Amino acid sequence: MDLPYRQYFESMPCYVTVQDRDLRIITANARFRQSFGDFEGRRCYQVYKQRPEKCEVCPVERTFRDGLSHSSEERVRCLNGREVAVIVYTEPVLDPDGRIAAVMEMSTDITEIKQLQDLLSESRRRYRTLFEEVPCYISIQDADLNIVDANRLHRRDFGSFLGCKCYEVYKHRKEECYPCPVRDTFLDGAIHEREEVVTSIRGETMNVLVSTAPIRDGAGNLQYVMEMSTNITQIRALQSQLASIGLLIGSVSHGIKGLLNSLNGGIYLVNKGLENGDQARLKQGWEIVLRNVARIRSMVLDILYYAKDREPQYEPLSPAAVIDEVFDLMLDKARSLGVGLAREVDEDVGSLEGDAKALRAMLVNLVENSLDACRLDSKKSGHRVALRASGQGTHVRFEVADNGIGMDRETREKAFTLFFSTKGSEGTGLGLFVANRIACAHGGRIVLESERDAGTRFLVEIPRERPRKPAKEDQCLTQQGATP
Amino acid sequence: MSDKKTILIVDDEPDTLTFFSSLLRDNGYETITAENGDAALAKVREARPDLITLDITMPESSGVRCYRELRQSAEFRSIPVIVITGISEDFRGFISSRKQVPPPDGYLSKPVDEQELVGMIGRLLAA
Repeated sequence: MDLPYRQYFESMPCYVTVQDRDLRIITANARFRQSFGDFEGRRCYQVYKQRPEKCEVCPVERTFRDGLSHSSEERVRCLNGREVAVIVYTEPVLDPDGRIAAVMEMSTDITEIKQLQDLLSESRRRYRTLFEEVPCYISIQDADLNIVDANRLHRRDFGSFLGCKCYEVYKHRKEECYPCPVRDTFLDGAIHEREEVVTSIRGETMNVLVSTAPIRDGAGNLQYVMEMSTNITQIRALQSQLASIGLLIGSVSHGIKGLLNSLNGGIYLVNKGLENGDQARLKQGWEIVLRNVARIRSMVLDILYYAKDREPQYEPLSPAAVIDEVFDLMLDKARSLGVGLAREVDEDVGSLEGDAKALRAMLVNLVENSLDACRLDSKKSGHRVALRASGQGTHVRFEVADNGIGMDRETREKAFTLFFSTKGSEGTGLGLFVANRIACAHGGRIVLESERDAGTRFLVEIPRERPRKPAKEDQCLTQQGATP
Repeated sequence: MSDKKTILIVDDEPDTLTFFSSLLRDNGYETITAENGDAALAKVREARPDLITLDITMPESSGVRCYRELRQSAEFRSIPVIVITGISEDFRGFISSRKQVPPPDGYLSKPVDEQELVGMIGRLLAA
């Protein structure tokens, strides 16, 4: 080798060797000699790796075979025992006839880079684990609200729908929600929070607290938005209960004051009767006291319907009589709204064990919902609500059907949620919630079939015999579907 | 003719009618009763009471309308009226609904304290 090239060769900041077809090292540079010592007559793998046989995959051999440059990553051991990670490049050395006389192998020490890479992949793995195992729903969305990544809990409860729209997966909607916290974050790059009601693949509705955060690329451009949703259904259920107690306290306070006033009257008459030895007054006053104590008692029981789970007061009852009572109660309201109310009871309806007052309250709630659905529907005329009861083997089926405004999928899924109402200031969001609670308490269920602009049908199935164990509300899943 | 003053008690709650009737008769008044606003107006025309106690939250024929009609009638507007009701919200609504109508002579909240009612009637009838 000529002098300047020899100098360059010697001072290369990597290990350079030239090898023959037997992989014997013909020559090597200074750095190589420094780290690996004497190489005279020895083969590459003996010097680099202290192994008796050649490596399974050898880039030098490959270059001898095809005349091309090859590379590989290897681990080699220096004289002092240090393990070095190297990246190997090979290049053929040609004789004047153009034949491969030798192969030059150049190995660069990449130990530090390798360590950094290992650290990086370890921390990637750790972040992935965190992302996967965090106990809330995380999705990463692009600017079109497509879910591009989601964590394990999200996939478990909402399915693996990468590439699908957020609102399709979470809410089974066809259109983007408004407002949308992800969209807001794309617009202003800030964190947004919102409460939403979403539906899992198993059909459970849950209240979630949604927080969004921007994800930027290396250049600082907003690339994705992370959406994190925490299930707060239990907290909401608790708050709803408190709020419903508040609502009820408002509405019953007038009644309670009136009853207390009557009770005062009874006590007044009892006292006067005792004072004057007037038996008739005493008796009259005592009757007032008894009557009003009974009324306060029943009012308190009514409040308990809303405030907490109340055990049904079971008695044998006739479904036909329940239908008749509800029909009579609702007829005036239906007439005033111009809605036809019909009743129909199958001959084989039989009897059932249930809480007459509760079942009546449940059907009244459903009929009221249907009447509202007719009132709100301006697209049709000739509105009808039908009230039916039929025997279904071990169950009695009550049915309330209307041809009113109907519900879309989102409304169907939320219909039984406390304080969910589509009626603005006119709805309290209590009625269907309480109806469902009553059906569940009887070990029964409500199936809701509805289609927008076509109408709604509630099918209430109540077992003829009281359940051995009262059903817990969260075990009592309602079913919703489009009208067949 | 009896010199006893006659009081018309208007309330949809029968036990309240019994209570107030007994209480007021015990205190030397004649009493007549009505269960809704329309019946009350009929009794006023028929018996011309000296004072009226009026519940304004009744399901049929509201007490508010009854009160307005009484106050708009030249013949009956001077009869003192004590409004008795369950919740203060009703009373506020009532007050704000009577723009051209003077306020009632007295207001009591249920449950009514009997001494307060008797005392208020005594003062209004002595005036």
